[in-house]
Amino acid sequence: MKKLLPLAAAMLVATTGATIAHDEKALQQSPPGDPYVQVSDALPLPEFIPGLGMLFVDPATLPAGPFLAYDHDGRLSATIYMTPLEDLQDGATYDGLGIGSHSVAGVDIYYNAGHPGVEKPHAHVVLYHDDGAKGRLAE
Amino acid sequence: MRPSRRMVLTLGGGALATLTMSVRVTAAPTEIIEMRGTARGERIWFAPRGLAVASGTTFRFVNRDPGNSHTSTAYHPDIFDRKRRIPEGAQPWDSDFLLPGESFEIVLTVPGVYDYYCQPHEMAGMAGRIIVGQPDNPEWEGPSDDAEDVMPEVLAALPTVADILRLGRIGLEGDG
Repeated sequence: MKKLLPLAAAMLVATTGATIAHDEKALQQSPPGDPYVQVSDALPLPEFIPGLGMLFVDPATLPAGPFLAYDHDGRLSATIYMTPLEDLQDGATYDGLGIGSHSVAGVDIYYNAGHPGVEKPHAHVVLYHDDGAKGRLAE
Repeated sequence: MRPSRRMVLTLGGGALATLTMSVRVTAAPTEIIEMRGTARGERIWFAPRGLAVASGTTFRFVNRDPGNSHTSTAYHPDIFDRKRRIPEGAQPWDSDFLLPGESFEIVLTVPGVYDYYCQPHEMAGMAGRIIVGQPDNPEWEGPSDDAEDVMPEVLAALPTVADILRLGRIGLEGDG
């Protein structure tokens, strides 16, 4: 649970606009450590997914995440959320989600038909943490 | 999960070796069915998704989707207790999860209609239909009329038997 605290604190900062300092360093380089697991170790998915990179997630936060996305050099490049459309339509909410880094250079939201781990059709919400992140995760 | 997947692949390979020997003797054809998807996973599909072949044809399912894993899984009570949608007496199959570039082979001999799906993408309608032989074959078994144990998305995705027999193959890459 150690890493959940900075994630929760980060979300608090993001939602309140306060300037509360917290330790992001532990998440900036892969592997992020407990309670995160590498998605490709737990599910039948490629180690590096083009467009998403190397993913780590705390299984307790599935399906929404946050999924921490690292590039080939192990640099945290994006935080990704996966929200099943049917669940949202049925009234599910995903509040207070963590974030890997305070820095967000861009956001992509797009539809995904499903994959192991989040099999229902869902939205990917991708927060890129620097200008070059999208390119580094592309392939 | 990985050991299980590899175990199945290994077992599949063993079965395949036996089947391949008979294929060489009879010179039966091989058809490739690709598992494909768009770069961001908005759409995923079997290509082709409808195919008519002769008895004894070997099928090689190949995952050509660089960002996703797929399965080829027959609708059958022996596999996740699903309603049978392949001919009675036909051997059901399950490729288990195939990572990008991996493949799985099976030989189909019993005449009739075979419906199969991708486990993680059934809800998205990733399914296919194979027809072995012709309806005038005395052993022929037509398509299942069950609509309770199959998702509407799958029923919508499956080509009709008439269209498959008329065209031979349906849904090559690019036409969905």
